[in-house]
Amino acid sequence: MALSQPQLATVKRTCWMLSLVVVAIPFLFPFLWMISSGFKGPTEIFGEPTLIPRTWRWQNFVEVFDYQPFARQYFNSIYIACAVTVLTLLLSSLAGYALARMRFAGAALLMVFLMSALMVPEEVTIVPNFFLMKWLGVMDTHVPLILLPVFGPHGVMATFLMRQYFVALPKELEDAGKMDGLSRVGIWWKIALPMSRPALAAVAIITFLFSWNLFLEPLVFLSSLENFTLPLALSNFTDPYGAPLWHLQLAATSLAVVPILIVYLIAQRQIIESFAMSGVKG
Amino acid sequence: MASLNETGTTVRAPRAPWLTLKRRETIEGWLFVSPTLIGFLIFFLGPLIAVVFYSLSEWNLLSQDTTFVGLANYEDALTQNPDFWQVIRNSVIFAAGLVPMNMALALALAMALARPFRGVVFFRTIFFAPVVTSAVAWAIVWKFLLQGDAGAVNQMLATVGIDGPNWLREPNWAMAAVIVTRVLKMVGLNMILYIAALQSIPRDYEEAARLEGASEWQIFRMVIWPLLAPTTLIIMVITTIGSFKVFDHIYLMTGGGPENGTLVLAFYIYQQAFEFFEIGYASALAMIMFVIVLALTVVQLILRQKGST
Amino acid sequence: MTRLTVRNLTKSFGKIEVIRGIDLDVADGEFVVFVGPSGCGKSTLLRMISGLETISGGELWIGDRKVNEVQAAKRGLAMVFQSYALYPHLTVRQNMGFGLKVRKESPDEIERRVNEAARTLQLDKLLDRYPRELSGGQRQRVAIGRAIVGDPQVFLFDEPLSNLDAELRVHMRAEIAALHRRLGNTTIYVTHDQIEAMTLADRIVVLRDGRIEQVGSPKELYARPDNVFVAQFIGSPKMNVCPVEAIRSPLQRAGFSTGGATQAGLRPEHLRIVDEAEGILCGRVSISEYTGGGALLHVELEGAPVFLVENSGDDAPQPGDIVHLAFSGSDLHLFDAEGRACHREPELA
Repeated sequence: MALSQPQLATVKRTCWMLSLVVVAIPFLFPFLWMISSGFKGPTEIFGEPTLIPRTWRWQNFVEVFDYQPFARQYFNSIYIACAVTVLTLLLSSLAGYALARMRFAGAALLMVFLMSALMVPEEVTIVPNFFLMKWLGVMDTHVPLILLPVFGPHGVMATFLMRQYFVALPKELEDAGKMDGLSRVGIWWKIALPMSRPALAAVAIITFLFSWNLFLEPLVFLSSLENFTLPLALSNFTDPYGAPLWHLQLAATSLAVVPILIVYLIAQRQIIESFAMSGVKG
Repeated sequence: MASLNETGTTVRAPRAPWLTLKRRETIEGWLFVSPTLIGFLIFFLGPLIAVVFYSLSEWNLLSQDTTFVGLANYEDALTQNPDFWQVIRNSVIFAAGLVPMNMALALALAMALARPFRGVVFFRTIFFAPVVTSAVAWAIVWKFLLQGDAGAVNQMLATVGIDGPNWLREPNWAMAAVIVTRVLKMVGLNMILYIAALQSIPRDYEEAARLEGASEWQIFRMVIWPLLAPTTLIIMVITTIGSFKVFDHIYLMTGGGPENGTLVLAFYIYQQAFEFFEIGYASALAMIMFVIVLALTVVQLILRQKGST
Repeated sequence: MTRLTVRNLTKSFGKIEVIRGIDLDVADGEFVVFVGPSGCGKSTLLRMISGLETISGGELWIGDRKVNEVQAAKRGLAMVFQSYALYPHLTVRQNMGFGLKVRKESPDEIERRVNEAARTLQLDKLLDRYPRELSGGQRQRVAIGRAIVGDPQVFLFDEPLSNLDAELRVHMRAEIAALHRRLGNTTIYVTHDQIEAMTLADRIVVLRDGRIEQVGSPKELYARPDNVFVAQFIGSPKMNVCPVEAIRSPLQRAGFSTGGATQAGLRPEHLRIVDEAEGILCGRVSISEYTGGGALLHVELEGAPVFLVENSGDDAPQPGDIVHLAFSGSDLHLFDAEGRACHREPELA
């Protein structure tokens, strides 16, 4: 029996959706598994895998805080990411504004100079930065974790993103500001910034996540547990022989990931657009 | 009062002030960029130059002596140390596996999700979710899922009669595993870049081609793919450079093993510098990495120029 | 008493000179219009006067003060921008009071002056709206309001009407003229629209390639253009210009001396269609464009050039018709080989 045109379309669409669902499994599955395993006991976790734990072991989420100063580490990550974000917003918008709008000698050269940073991986400069931080006496503090993202390639990327946005703003508004008697700083603060909320939001989102997920720098610069940031802390749930304590590690990972995921789900459109903005520019 | 008297003007005219409007603009401009610039010089450019000098010296942090050895560290890497070429080989395999897989999947997903339909946001959200998740978390979960017999992946394979390998303990499987899981982590980013590019293509082209009787595949091959070329090029270069920077993912999933099977350049630098304290040698490796990335960037620029002319 | 004096003003961007030595005196209370084709430097000149663009050479005086290196806000000027440049994140009231606030005026004084300006421009009811909630004409009025609250010595307008539709443009043009009559401030107004220039200006400055082509009252520019460029730029439809050679014999037959002139110009509105006996020039109508009040004829003359002729009344000739054209000697413009006007002495004519 031949299918009618609309029936055929329905079949096609169903197949289509089904294949998308299949492709989505390896993207979604790890999150589900992470959360469910975070509730399992140390023995069940090695048993036959089930998505729903047979016994819910809430205790994991208490033990996580006993095993390491996890609350402290959580707080470290939050405040470092906030500091990096605020500093990056401030400095990248200042420099980006100058590069977009001010006609000053050397500006073009400076652009090329800064741009060269975009292609140098952090791994290249981490060794000298290690000695620099040692010399400054800030090893095992959060200073390097704040300074390096702000002034490294990520900061340069943010500067360019801001610059691209400022370039496209109507210039006459700033001229009006000048005629009204605003200083350069006044124009930047009272006119350019209020009109650049989308770009500022994009830089803020990307920068926060960049700092939040940073791993190499904490690994190199931090040594005491109470100074750890989340990614470093997560990798540290091991028994004395270095084997992972899965139930704790996955519970802790869930605690670290789920809040970000919730924010992501609420603001997914804005967050995805922010990444698109930064990517298109590169 | 009719017009200004010439001599009158010269008498009343004050000398041009030093702070002309032009100078003022220049000073203000440099003041605006100075925080960024100073930080950049101290924490980026300075270290970059320092690496060059480090790489020319024999410097082991444990023995504390530094001696100038010229290009010996580079010679050591390129001709003496067998690890180096294995690391390069690993890095190339990693990139060669990751880049095409990432791009093909990104494009396929973008083609599927560029046009609105019921559920499109749901799927986009899922495919992009790993991008906002920390690499550490992603690596930890996948390491858990890919354990030998107890891992969820192998247990599921067992239910359909497949005896899965011990993914992270066998060199070839380990490399495949880190590549695939890294693709899953990052493909969402390229997907949205492709979606943005696809959405910026006017529908007129596609409709015109359809009116001329082109098939879906022909439309893709002859209309969409050429229009995506600039985006493809950018994505390719970003992804390739990105693949050379991958550290945390591999550090956490395999620790570079087994048998150095997943030891890539970024990891090797870290290992030499911060586990073996071979600062000079690590710096030479960093320089080599810099040159590789620089070369890739130059290739990109050349391709871009060719593309635009 | 705010006169404006410009002496040999120049501006270059790198090697490119965009303003090449401008001399100009604007009297107190005068309404001067800069007009010229796009790229002639009129906006750059205005921006140099405003202080938004730096001055490369020459002198700029506002009143008794040389202001070359004085910041824009301290020159005592106000500017109305083409795009209005209203701050999108501020209300109309805040927009208008912004400059006063920056200059640290007291809130009471700001309130008083904003209200006064709003009354003048009938903006009272819009004060708490945001720019995006206003129509084009209203935005334009707010932009003017913002300029007048500061009580500036000189008003600058940068193509303020070009974003409005035709009808509103005529209306706002009249409002600006009325406002100038009432306030009497020295005003400089930039436009590319010569009708705007003609209707508003006390004096018009015609610019081309960074130089002044001619300065004069609208009437002077229309009646006695200094050169072919001004002759063709002012007036619409533009002046017919052809080599004298092409129409020398008809001109001689009619008794007009051409002297050493090489080009002759006649405005379309000065050409009358007459009987063969009175006709000076003769040609065939190739196109007849109906314009409502009359018709615009494209007439192919015997000597080759096509002349535009304005014909009022209903009985316009049809394409293919042969027409005879007459004009009075005072409407004939003659130019030399460089395009400069050959002014015939009126008493000899």
